[in-house]
Amino acid sequence: MTEPVLDQALLNCADEPIAIPGAIQPHGALLALSEPDLAVVVASANAADVFGRSVAGSTLDELLDTGDLARVREGLAGDLAEVAPLSVRLAGGDVDLVLHRADGLLLTEWEPVSGAEQAGAAWHRRLPVVLQRLSAAATLDELTAVLARDVRALTGFDRVMVYRFDAEWNGEVIAEDRSPDLEPFLGLRYPASDIPAQARALYTTNWMRIIPDATYTPVPLGSALGKPLDLSGAMLRSVSPVHLEYLANMGVRSSMSISLIDRGRLWGLISCHHYAGPHRPSYTDRTAAEFLGRTASLLLHTAVAEGEQSGVVETAHRQAELAGAVGQAPRALSAALTGGDVTVLDLLPAAGAAVRINGQLTLLGTTPPADRVVPLVRALLAGGTPVTDAASRVVPEAADLAGTASGVLAVDVAGGREDFLAWFRPETLREVTWGGNPYASKIAQTDTGPRLSPRRSFASWSETVRQTSRPWREHEVAAARALADSVTQAALGRVADDNRLAITLQRTLLLEELPKVPGVALAARYLPSADDVVGGDWYDVVPLPGGRVSIVLGDVAGHGLAAAAITAQLRHALRAHLLRALGPAAALDGLNELIGALLPGELATAVVVELDPADGRVVVANAGHLPVLHATPAGAEYLMQGRGPALGMLDAAHYVDTRIQLAGDDRLLLLSDGLVERGAGGLAAGLEHLREVVTAGPADPAALLDAVVTALNPPGTDDVTLLGIART
Amino acid sequence: MLFDVERTTVAGRPGLTVRGELDLATAPQLVAAVDALLASAPPAFSVDLTPTTFLDSSGARELVRIARRAAAEGITVHIVAPRSNGPVRLTVDLLDLGAVVPIVGSAADIPAGISRRDAAT
Repeated sequence: MTEPVLDQALLNCADEPIAIPGAIQPHGALLALSEPDLAVVVASANAADVFGRSVAGSTLDELLDTGDLARVREGLAGDLAEVAPLSVRLAGGDVDLVLHRADGLLLTEWEPVSGAEQAGAAWHRRLPVVLQRLSAAATLDELTAVLARDVRALTGFDRVMVYRFDAEWNGEVIAEDRSPDLEPFLGLRYPASDIPAQARALYTTNWMRIIPDATYTPVPLGSALGKPLDLSGAMLRSVSPVHLEYLANMGVRSSMSISLIDRGRLWGLISCHHYAGPHRPSYTDRTAAEFLGRTASLLLHTAVAEGEQSGVVETAHRQAELAGAVGQAPRALSAALTGGDVTVLDLLPAAGAAVRINGQLTLLGTTPPADRVVPLVRALLAGGTPVTDAASRVVPEAADLAGTASGVLAVDVAGGREDFLAWFRPETLREVTWGGNPYASKIAQTDTGPRLSPRRSFASWSETVRQTSRPWREHEVAAARALADSVTQAALGRVADDNRLAITLQRTLLLEELPKVPGVALAARYLPSADDVVGGDWYDVVPLPGGRVSIVLGDVAGHGLAAAAITAQLRHALRAHLLRALGPAAALDGLNELIGALLPGELATAVVVELDPADGRVVVANAGHLPVLHATPAGAEYLMQGRGPALGMLDAAHYVDTRIQLAGDDRLLLLSDGLVERGAGGLAAGLEHLREVVTAGPADPAALLDAVVTALNPPGTDDVTLLGIART
Repeated sequence: MLFDVERTTVAGRPGLTVRGELDLATAPQLVAAVDALLASAPPAFSVDLTPTTFLDSSGARELVRIARRAAAEGITVHIVAPRSNGPVRLTVDLLDLGAVVPIVGSAADIPAGISRRDAAT
């Protein structure tokens, strides 16, 4: 068949005017009467059978005996619902009479009692107990189980199901009572198209529908009206042939449904099926069943809320426990979240969880493989959909992970290392057992155009809606986010602590008093960086035997506590080497070995100046550091000889001692890169500027350093360390 | 200027061109790019600092680590640091990065027969 034909058939199905079928089912007769004369305006073709005479052109007076007529007229004066059913005796037997008004007419439906099943007085006596059991139900499961069981006991259908609609109007069978030889339908789900929109609209105003025999031949309504009669309130209304075909293909001979309406909205149905043969519970029993449905409807709201509440308290409790663990162990966040009695996987219902802290990934439960987790979570976070129950819709590449990650709940953990917490849910297979295969639709042609017959095949067919998981609930998402906040706070707190430690450490390295060495004028300036992050500068003054002194300025690459700790080690190690008095180069050789052995991968620079104030002899060795500036009366020049590579680059280095002379007014300046690196012209320009300033600057080391700092005015992005040396 | 590491091909081999300031904050991005590149097990690669506007000791430390890592895996690395890029070249020379990794003045000088210590350019 061609596409356009299928489309048209579907349109016909949706348009089908189910309220005005122009016919009724044959288990009763329908007369529409004008008021107040009660003359027959519309009559079903089987009316003569029920009344035992022709009804055309009659009035109700002619069809009923005086007593019955009087009761009817009395009823008409008040609420018609109060009247139903009226038991009257006609030629054909006892009949239940039901009245309602539509289209300006009084619609009367006459249903013979004979042929109807009766639950009996015994059941009706138990009604208060049944109601009590419904009200006492603590959960939705209990409520619907009681409902299914009692409606079945009352009506005698082979199978009674309670059906709940989801947000898209698909249905799920959430409770069932059935004859033991039947296959269970509990848990099955049905597509929204099984109960089309116009039917659902009818079910919201009309609480009950009955089809005692789905193989019936519709009984036409003869009418002088000239337009179809609105049968939406009529219990005998003939139903859509599409629906009858659906029932036939499921082997259902008789069906009844009662609406479940929660605060004005269609929530679900009580759906009854019979297979053994036609089945018609009496009007009274049907009314009692409808009453159970109405009662249950009032209780739905509370039962549903109850169910949702249980998860909320549990999750809140777990979240508090985890936040506590995290607060107590800010340096071991991963372990706090994954190694304790309560882990992140326990926070909310999920099959698996992933924790990425400080770039390290830990997986719990059932998750996608490690190398897929990070890209998937990153893609969802970057795409703005960190909470999804259908990950492959957002990230198509994740389609093959549906078994473990159809649902993903991800939250960022701030801290700059792309850390996160994530939970995973597998796909929840939704299985639908249809009476046939909808894709093998066979279109039947009728006078009004093609009509869809959705299920011809008797084979069952399962359709799975793949790659979606149980949806994440609001309180679960809130708990996940709150936990991530706790983790972030702990991480930030730890960083702040580390910084305070580093600053403290550096202060001890740099702000001790400079030792007084006779014959040497020393000045030092240290400007910490503006950020609260400590750099790796250090300096040292080591008095040597014989009045000489070694002066060191060094710089460890990096910032923070790690760099400060390395700086401390290097300072002390170099000091120890210098005290052996083998000269600057030998000391740097030793320091280089130390870094290579104990601190691989780290980089540092250092310059060592050994001064003998007695004769002004200076020995300099430089490991990758900025050159020493030698200021003489003739000007200031950088000492470029005797340079070696930075410390930590070579396994074994051979630094070289360079000898210069420090005359009377000469000064030596040692500096760190923070002073000159960030000038407008770059490093070279900064060094040149410094040279000019020193050339013109004051003689006294302290004053000179002040002048330098003022003139160069370094930005606060890095530490600045300066040493000035002169002979007194 | 924003920091950026671009994958290129130089002399038939993979290259990473470093744009912007290579320092403590941006060094991890260079590391990530090198990780990705090394995953394809190239026989050699180069790091081009021509458009690098700033290099400090943290950035240099990362370059040394990258060179060591490549050496450990038997992969040849060259660093391109033209003299025309004053600040970067000066830092490279002061630290004497050439002691651990070949420094060349331009991509054209890769790979054939350049000695470990860059003397010619």
